[in-house]
Amino acid sequence: MPTIDIDYAEFEKLLGFELHRDMGKVNEVLEFVKGEVKLWDEKAGVMSVEIKDTSRPDVWNIEGLARTLRGFMGLETGLREYKVGKPIVEIHVDPRLENIRPYIGCSVIKDVRLSDPIIRGFMHMQDKLDQSYGRNRQRTSIGLYDFDLIKSPLTYGVAKPTEMSFVPLGFEEKMNLKQILQKHPKGIEYGHVVNKHPVYPILLDAERKVLSFPPVINSNDLGKITDQARNVLVEVTGTMNETVLNTVKIVTLSLIDRGGKAFAAKVHYPKEKAPVVTPNFEVGSMDLDVEYVNKVSGLRFTANQIAELLPKAGYRAEKVDGDRVRVYVPCYRVDVMHPVDLVEDVTIAYGYNNIKPLWRRLPTTGGMRPEQALLDVARELMVGLGFQEVLTYTLTNPENLFAKMNVKRGKVVELANPKVQTLTCLRNWLLPSLMEVLSNNLSVEYPQRIFELGKVTLLDDKKETMTRDEDWLAAVVSHANASFSEIKSDLDAFFMNLGLKWQIKEAKHPSFIEGRTGTAIVEGTNVGILGEINPQVLTRWKLENPAAAFELNMQKIAKTKHKPIA
Amino acid sequence: MKGNAMVDLREHERKALSALKKLGGKASLEQIVNESGLSDSAVMRAAVTLRERKLLRIVEDKQTLATLNVEGRSYARKELPERRMIDALRKLSGEALLGRVVEKAGLEGQFVPIALGWIQRKKWATLDSKTKTLRISEKIAEGSDERLLKLLADKGHAVVEDLGSELQEAVQILKGRKLLNVEEKTRRIIEITDAGLTATKKGARVTAEVTQLTPELIISGKWRKVKLQKYNVAAQVANTWPGKKHPYLQFLDEVREKLVALGFKEMTGTAVETAFFNFDALYTPQGHPAREPSGVYYVKSPKYGSVNAYKQILENVKKTHENGWKTGSSGWRYKYSTKEASRLILRSHTTCLSARTLLSRDLEIPGMYFSIGPCYRPEVLDKTHLTEFNQVEGIVVDKDLTLRDLLGVLEKFAIDIAGADRAKFVPDYFPFTEPSVELRAYKTGFGWIEFGGSGIFRPEVTLPLGIDVPVLAWGLGIDRLFMLKAGIDDIRQLFTLDLDWLRRQEVT
Repeated sequence: MPTIDIDYAEFEKLLGFELHRDMGKVNEVLEFVKGEVKLWDEKAGVMSVEIKDTSRPDVWNIEGLARTLRGFMGLETGLREYKVGKPIVEIHVDPRLENIRPYIGCSVIKDVRLSDPIIRGFMHMQDKLDQSYGRNRQRTSIGLYDFDLIKSPLTYGVAKPTEMSFVPLGFEEKMNLKQILQKHPKGIEYGHVVNKHPVYPILLDAERKVLSFPPVINSNDLGKITDQARNVLVEVTGTMNETVLNTVKIVTLSLIDRGGKAFAAKVHYPKEKAPVVTPNFEVGSMDLDVEYVNKVSGLRFTANQIAELLPKAGYRAEKVDGDRVRVYVPCYRVDVMHPVDLVEDVTIAYGYNNIKPLWRRLPTTGGMRPEQALLDVARELMVGLGFQEVLTYTLTNPENLFAKMNVKRGKVVELANPKVQTLTCLRNWLLPSLMEVLSNNLSVEYPQRIFELGKVTLLDDKKETMTRDEDWLAAVVSHANASFSEIKSDLDAFFMNLGLKWQIKEAKHPSFIEGRTGTAIVEGTNVGILGEINPQVLTRWKLENPAAAFELNMQKIAKTKHKPIA
Repeated sequence: MKGNAMVDLREHERKALSALKKLGGKASLEQIVNESGLSDSAVMRAAVTLRERKLLRIVEDKQTLATLNVEGRSYARKELPERRMIDALRKLSGEALLGRVVEKAGLEGQFVPIALGWIQRKKWATLDSKTKTLRISEKIAEGSDERLLKLLADKGHAVVEDLGSELQEAVQILKGRKLLNVEEKTRRIIEITDAGLTATKKGARVTAEVTQLTPELIISGKWRKVKLQKYNVAAQVANTWPGKKHPYLQFLDEVREKLVALGFKEMTGTAVETAFFNFDALYTPQGHPAREPSGVYYVKSPKYGSVNAYKQILENVKKTHENGWKTGSSGWRYKYSTKEASRLILRSHTTCLSARTLLSRDLEIPGMYFSIGPCYRPEVLDKTHLTEFNQVEGIVVDKDLTLRDLLGVLEKFAIDIAGADRAKFVPDYFPFTEPSVELRAYKTGFGWIEFGGSGIFRPEVTLPLGIDVPVLAWGLGIDRLFMLKAGIDDIRQLFTLDLDWLRRQEVT
């Protein structure tokens, strides 16, 4: 979810409405765009607004946010018309970019009056669009330039890593592209987007001056916007044409909202005969069935009501007849894919809290999953036997599962991208989790008797997900006199109360003491293990008291029970 | 038994009382312990009961205890620096250069100014500041400070109040030189009363007393002849920690029961899921940020699962993503990868179970389904984030369901599950629902809680799965609710390893 920093004074100015720094009121207004103030830095006069909607890049900037809110607040309804003048810049695209970063879109905005907070806002928007909509510049990246320093036509071409040099933004000496990737902070951050290719994208003007090395860094000479700049060139490159076009559009609209006049650019692609003109502010249209709106919303809107509500969300809407409304969709609403998107805007404009909730008890029968009854009984029994239930993560690490348990390393589901150092794989048994609990409670009064009934994940190549999850139960007792007989007596009581026939046979397991380890067999099936914990294991967990434990596969026990527990 | 002069005493009481008498009728607890051979606790117990019977009284008085600290002990071993200096001077026939004296005394550098200072203060010698010559005085007596030092070194401690006035002054001096620890202690003195004295004179009748009633005593009938020891019923005893359910799991049990009572059926699935069910089938495009390594855990090996069982469905989903297929949507307009659909991940929500249920042959229409289970997201753990957390989610499927029904279900949840007074609805966003609604529940004492996210599945979700009726999808923010109820402000507490905290949780 994008979080955008908004200069409060600029926000009120663009909104044309005073909210008197009342955060309650600001939040109430932001609900229309699925936003919420997360931080409010009163000193700097900046609020951080989280926007839940990941499909509306048009509201990830202060201008777009104010534009949309003015509609819902009734300050300016209907479609805001945006115009673009004839092309005043041309770009030629090199065919060798096809498998690197083939698309580019540009626009020129003249007579913009820039100030520090406005420039900061643009930089912030550029950053957010690059990160979220542009997927960290993989898909798109934006560059802004002082247009007066640039001569058309531009060339969007390629260069070998050491072939071309320029002074990158924020630096004073020239560097070649390879040096930029090695030394410039942005080169280090974004080099991976292009460095697998033998040649890198480069944007040059008619005098072969470098504008930028997309998507890494702009030139310090041409690509730096100050409050002196009056005419701005917007450039977006990327791997997806539609995203590139949408991004040019959104950035250009923000500059227009700041008083600029937009002019188009002509892009000449190698394989296309006709040039592509950017940006395109074309208004889309969609016919909306009144019946469909009412079917989804459960309300009884008329065509007239719908045509009155939609302009609050920035649309132009015309009633065609009693059954249909023609809706003109503003060019920046890149998220509108289906009439259902319009229905949502109708209902938001109407107000969710003006809709009367309807509870209809459907003729269904509720029920838990089949094993749940047995699992609940098992937990009740463990509690009755005096065990405290614990809850631990199913995520753990191989060190806990194997080494600390004195067990040979086996295969488990490991994460390709772990985030927490100690949580790198899914557990395949529960006892290590219980040992971890014990080792975290050395100074807590003994005896300690704990259990967990939880999921373990086992590899299983017959399954769609290559795994199966099972419910297992583990229990451990620890105190100065903890012994095999104590845990066996608990296990015997457990089985007896479940109405099972069981026997314990001697077994070997490296986590337990040899000669004090057994397997539990129910109806001929091996359902688990019990024993005194090997002092080697105790030592590795830094435990000072003896411990005895059992671990059972509840799935297997459920199967051996002929009749389900009702 | 009025008029009976004999006093019933238990064995340890008799011993304690006669020890006290031997000690002159007044003694400390330790003295009685030494004299009687009883344990500390036995004497203490005897003293308490005997006091109740007015056979003795316990007087508390404050005393000041002086002990040497580390430096003091080292001074006591080597003597005070000024004494070492004056001894050396004496050996140098009473007059010598300072340097020689220091050398002779073997005095460490840091002690020289201290020794000089005290020598002059005690008038043991004079220093000619021009010639740096020390000259011994006539009279050099042992100071009270030195005597105290020796006393403390010998005995370990001294009760200041018991010292003579000179030594009491010395305490102040050595305390000033930071060689002593001085602390106040309460001392209990036990004093026999006249009644106590009388009792020992007359001779007390000692009853055979028994602490533990044994089967042997019961069977033999001996219990009739023995006296069972009286206990202090208010005394501290060993703790008992009963077996209990985990409070959060118990809360989840209650939520599960309430959902079942509302008519919902439970769905289950696995922690490892294919990207197809976690994302694709939920109309989340393959380039979506939620699918970046920062948004979802990928399985290292095996990397891919199987989606072979869903060939036709996969084709529908692919086309829907690419161009909207028959859904009336424009689609996401990108090239869909079938391979990416089979990529294995840890489920980042349980909505994947809803997608699986919609595909299941057992799907009932009308149908209401829910699931409770762990989900995983690559988050750093902090007060408000877990990387593994439980979600309660579900769907309602029936023809003619609308946004009003969705709000009805949400309001029902707010009231029945959260116990809220009222609910309100705020626009929300999920890639797979439209319209999308956030549920906020107002509960007295708690205020407004964000209690859930929900929506109606987009046609791009339902139609490719072969479902042509509306599906309401909802998820509940139960963790927040539990935390508020349990008074927890750190979500990590749900998975606490702290056994003591679990033991002390109230059972509800």
